[in-house]
Amino acid sequence: MYDYNPYVQDYAFPSLKLAQAYVPLQKYVSLYPPEEAIKKGTVFPELDMPYVGEKMR
Amino acid sequence: MWVYEKKLQYPAKVCKPDVKMAKYLIAQYGGPDGELAAALRYQTQRFVMPTGKAKAVLTDIATEELAHLEIIATLVFKLLKGVPVEILKREGLGEYYTEHDRGLFYADTTGMLWTAAYIQAKGDAIADLHEDMAAEEKARTTYEHLINLTDDPCVKDTLRFLREREIVHFQRFGETLVQVREYMESKKFF
Repeated sequence: MYDYNPYVQDYAFPSLKLAQAYVPLQKYVSLYPPEEAIKKGTVFPELDMPYVGEKMR
Repeated sequence: MWVYEKKLQYPAKVCKPDVKMAKYLIAQYGGPDGELAAALRYQTQRFVMPTGKAKAVLTDIATEELAHLEIIATLVFKLLKGVPVEILKREGLGEYYTEHDRGLFYADTTGMLWTAAYIQAKGDAIADLHEDMAAEEKARTTYEHLINLTDDPCVKDTLRFLREREIVHFQRFGETLVQVREYMESKKFF
């Protein structure tokens, strides 16, 4: 058994080459409701990456 | 051609005037990794993108960066509103006041004027998209520094929104890079 995380994307690329940068293509998972999305700056939970380093400034 | 709305993309509230923060924030107005540089960079690079989708991504993001430029301008304007000249001078905006009063001008926090030398258009979609991804990361970092520089919860809130948009844009440019490369490779074998 493993914990199911709906926001984990499939990061596999068919053929990774040297000297090339890759960003995984986003797959649709779910959306935040509009009011929450505007507050967070994204409608996609998997792209919601708040700044956490503030306390270590 | 653009259609515009007479409102900000996100509220730009400030809890109280803060001359020092206005001086720092101007970095995202006319600085090297600021919103003007971002908007103009993507808007001019769009022409060499090989697919309609890639052109649309650059035009869309350029347009949104103009909306962010407006938000930064609003924050700076509000942070300086009603502040007496004596305080502007004391807090390090005497030089800025000399030429611009409390108006908005394209300069960075040290007063260095905006220049097209901050951006590139290489005529190569792959090279340009790498620049765009780097630009988003640099803007994200700048927003984090700005969040660290203020205690104003209203300003922080708007900066957090703008920072998150840089992350979303990075993802879109990254996807565009992968798709454009795929498209160009498919063109070699037909």
